[in-house]
Amino acid sequence: MLLQLNNIFKWVNSGGQRIFLLKDISLTVEEGEFISVMGPSGSGKSTLLNVIGMLDGFDEGEYHFLDESVHSIKEKHRANLYKEYIGFVFQSYHLLDELTVKENLEMPLLYKKFKGSERKAMVADMLDRFNIVGKKDLFPAQLSGGQQQLVGIARALISNPKLILADEPTGNLNSAQGEEIMGLFKQLNDEGVTIIQVTHSEKNASHGSRIINLLDGRMI
Amino acid sequence: MLNLFLKIATRYLLKNKLYSFINIFGLAIGIASFVLIMLYVNYEKSYDKFDGSENVYRVFMDYLEGGEYVPGDANAYIVSGPTLKEEFPEIESFVRFRRIRNLVVMHNNTPYDGIVGSLADSEYFDVFDRGLVKGDQRTALNEPYSVVLSTAIAQKLFGDGNPIGQSIKIAGDDSVTFTITGVMDNSNRNTHIKNDLLVSFKTFHTWKIFENDWKFTWNQNEYYTYIKVAPNTDAKLLNQKVMAFVPEGFEFKEKHHMEPIEDIHLHSNKPYEAEANGSASSVKLLAIIAFITLVLSWINYMNLSTSKSLERAKEIGIRKVVGARRPQLIWQFLLESALINCIAIILAIMAVYILLPSFNRFIGQNLSFATVPLKSLAPYFFILIAGVSLAAFYPAFVLSKYNPTKVLKGKVQTSKNSLDFRKGLIVCQFIATIVLLVGTFVANKQINYLKNRPIGADLNQVIALNGQVLDRAYDSIFYQDFDVLLEEMKRNPYIADATSARTYPGDNFSNMNSNLGLTFPDGHTDETHIWYNYGARPDYFNLMGMNFVAGDTFLQTTEKRSNNVVVNEEMARFMGIIDMDALVGKTIKFWGQDWTVSGIVKDYNHLGMKSAVVPTIIRHDRNTQNVLIKLDEKAITMTGVDKALGKLERIWHQVFPVSTYNYTFLDQKFEALFNEDRKFAKAFQIFTLLAILIASLGLFGLTSYTCIQRKKEIGVRKVNGATITQILQLLNQDFIKWVGLAFVVAIPISWFAMHTWLEGFAYKTTISWWVFALAGFTALAIALLTVSWQSFKAATTNPVESLRDE
Repeated sequence: MLLQLNNIFKWVNSGGQRIFLLKDISLTVEEGEFISVMGPSGSGKSTLLNVIGMLDGFDEGEYHFLDESVHSIKEKHRANLYKEYIGFVFQSYHLLDELTVKENLEMPLLYKKFKGSERKAMVADMLDRFNIVGKKDLFPAQLSGGQQQLVGIARALISNPKLILADEPTGNLNSAQGEEIMGLFKQLNDEGVTIIQVTHSEKNASHGSRIINLLDGRMI
Repeated sequence: MLNLFLKIATRYLLKNKLYSFINIFGLAIGIASFVLIMLYVNYEKSYDKFDGSENVYRVFMDYLEGGEYVPGDANAYIVSGPTLKEEFPEIESFVRFRRIRNLVVMHNNTPYDGIVGSLADSEYFDVFDRGLVKGDQRTALNEPYSVVLSTAIAQKLFGDGNPIGQSIKIAGDDSVTFTITGVMDNSNRNTHIKNDLLVSFKTFHTWKIFENDWKFTWNQNEYYTYIKVAPNTDAKLLNQKVMAFVPEGFEFKEKHHMEPIEDIHLHSNKPYEAEANGSASSVKLLAIIAFITLVLSWINYMNLSTSKSLERAKEIGIRKVVGARRPQLIWQFLLESALINCIAIILAIMAVYILLPSFNRFIGQNLSFATVPLKSLAPYFFILIAGVSLAAFYPAFVLSKYNPTKVLKGKVQTSKNSLDFRKGLIVCQFIATIVLLVGTFVANKQINYLKNRPIGADLNQVIALNGQVLDRAYDSIFYQDFDVLLEEMKRNPYIADATSARTYPGDNFSNMNSNLGLTFPDGHTDETHIWYNYGARPDYFNLMGMNFVAGDTFLQTTEKRSNNVVVNEEMARFMGIIDMDALVGKTIKFWGQDWTVSGIVKDYNHLGMKSAVVPTIIRHDRNTQNVLIKLDEKAITMTGVDKALGKLERIWHQVFPVSTYNYTFLDQKFEALFNEDRKFAKAFQIFTLLAILIASLGLFGLTSYTCIQRKKEIGVRKVNGATITQILQLLNQDFIKWVGLAFVVAIPISWFAMHTWLEGFAYKTTISWWVFALAGFTALAIALLTVSWQSFKAATTNPVESLRDE
């Protein structure tokens, strides 16, 4: 078991009313799964992803990641946890505009205390693996959307996470580029990486091993 | 439209209270400091400016000092004025002032002292463009024994009655009566030569108190002399002619020299000035600080407004989509700026009104908008308006540039240029801050240095008493009584010692004689160097805690006076003496007499710490100008100083029942000699603090801007594992770089500025390296403190917030 959510609730108070963002979510994810989270806008997909990614807290329930109880550990420990095991992929890539492809890839490693030579090797490896060696000195603005997302995924993968969280990774891409990214995800999944993606597209969802449907913060 | 703009602007200001507060507050501080300093600067510059003042010059003497002519002192000879007028047709009129020492006015048998009075020529009212409130200025000073009073003194003596035609007496010569012929109002006149009372110069020829000086030749030079030249005279040329002119019977190696009266207060610092003058360099430095403060607050305003503009990007986008054109947007933001600036100016003027009394107390002046002619403030208001407009235009320009489609998608493009521009502004602010900090540190260091520098005499608990004995002539009986007074005082348990002298350390040039011509022990006669002398009793040195390098005080062969003298080390050096002991017992000559050197006293500072020690001879004399009292430390700690002071006054009045009485603590008077500099250092401090406050506000603004701008970057980095510390480092290192850059630029500027300032002192503190280090670290600490609050906020923001997909 990679992670387990037990009766997770998350809400905000607005105008004296409690609005539930997540309502009684229970979910177990095994290593090697490829899960697609689906649902209409505002159903809580991204919130769920953020909770799993430990970027966002929750108000009630339990969250176990590997052997740790996320709901009860300290912030610093939690940060170490996701730093080590989780990679993020965003719809709008979120590459740093002022850094080149190579530097963007290197950035997460800077925060993980790898030595210079190790970092170099890991970046080279990643560039190689994604076939973007030729683009390593370009800036994000000089790449197509698909290429940017490729860099985004490469960055998420560079420190060998167990879990990739992708929030509509193909949302800003055309269908051909989207297909390519999905193919890549499938391939990564086959190599053993657990993936949870949020998507609107049935077709993308079909790449996964399991689909979770959300509506108004509930699993249906 | 205008209405709508104003409505939006007000709402926006109210909604962003902190931002509005910082923005308006920063501007108001800048403007208020500027106005305050400029009031002061203007006041200092307004000295001796009256109708026709551009044609009035003071005549003083240049002395031959070591082979070249240098400004000697502020006086000229009694015949200088009339002789020059006779010789040069360009000179229309002249006025001489001869100070009346120890002036005590008797009216209805009541003595009034503390009045500054002079003999003055009848053309006074013409040269100084001064009208009389009462009396006829054409005739007021024509007749002997005529007196003109200031309104304040007239009020004091006669109340609301009409003083014209009334008579007064002046202590020292009971046989004559003076008639008041005029009252002058000089409360609003700013001049370096102040007079409460003028006696017609013609009185001089018969008035007994000047009996010793009834010779009208080139023999006495204690006359402040002012000339008025014809309009359009080439003053430079005239001055050359005056300097080249050798009057008949003039045998000294001296030259007459003219200087514009308008320049005296700020640019002249000669011995025997009529009063301690201001300092041009201090005024200049303060004016520069005022401008810096003002510019800092504008930079701030620009930074804050542009940084805040990001939040308004959406409004601009929508406006553009619905059809607003750029000029319209510029107008809108200019209007907003105008609103903010107006509030700031109003606040600033209110602040000036509120702060003016304390500022006045602080600088010891009486500034108000009333004393400064508004006309002279016009250029500053112009600067203010121009600066405000410029500062307002920049944010308007930047804000209106946003591309609407991008802005509406939530993408605010930040041009690299404009960010660099703002970074440059911040660096400038830091340069100013560091320069001001160095200035403050050095100014304080210098003041402390002067304060702690040994004077060479112990002024602690020493009091100088001087009063005018009104019912006595200075005859042998008087001197006997005076000796009785000193004995009486010595017997008192409060008093450790008592003596008398003509002058004392801290008394500056007053009561010192300046001389030319001295024959050294080796027979060489020097005619070109000025030296000083005064008289004192033998126990003067002991009481003042002065030490002898060789020999001792005057040999007391007589009670009265002898031809014994004590010289200071500087005098010995001047005479080329190396072996001090060998000088004891040697004979020197001046005033046509032989004098025996009985001792060499260690150099002490008679003229305060701003001036170097001058060659001085102290003669054995029983001068009664100042009674010097050393209070008994122990007796005072038990009962307090007030009781001792009361006792002193009682003893004085027992011996001299009809007399005036004044006392001064020597240490206070000595320190007062660099009061101006202390005030300057304090002003420096205050305005430095304000400048730092303003710079911090600006930095605060820019940090918030950077944090907003780098929000996404911070989010991405955090998601990728950056810790808060790492993010803080990332955000703060830029600021550290800027402070570093500013530091490098600020060092030479501040070094040069303070080096120049220190030039005005005879004793200078060193500008140590730690002053710069301290200033740099202070600036850095202030920067980091200001920045860290914001960057910490940014670093701890949940990246989910900042990365929410558009």
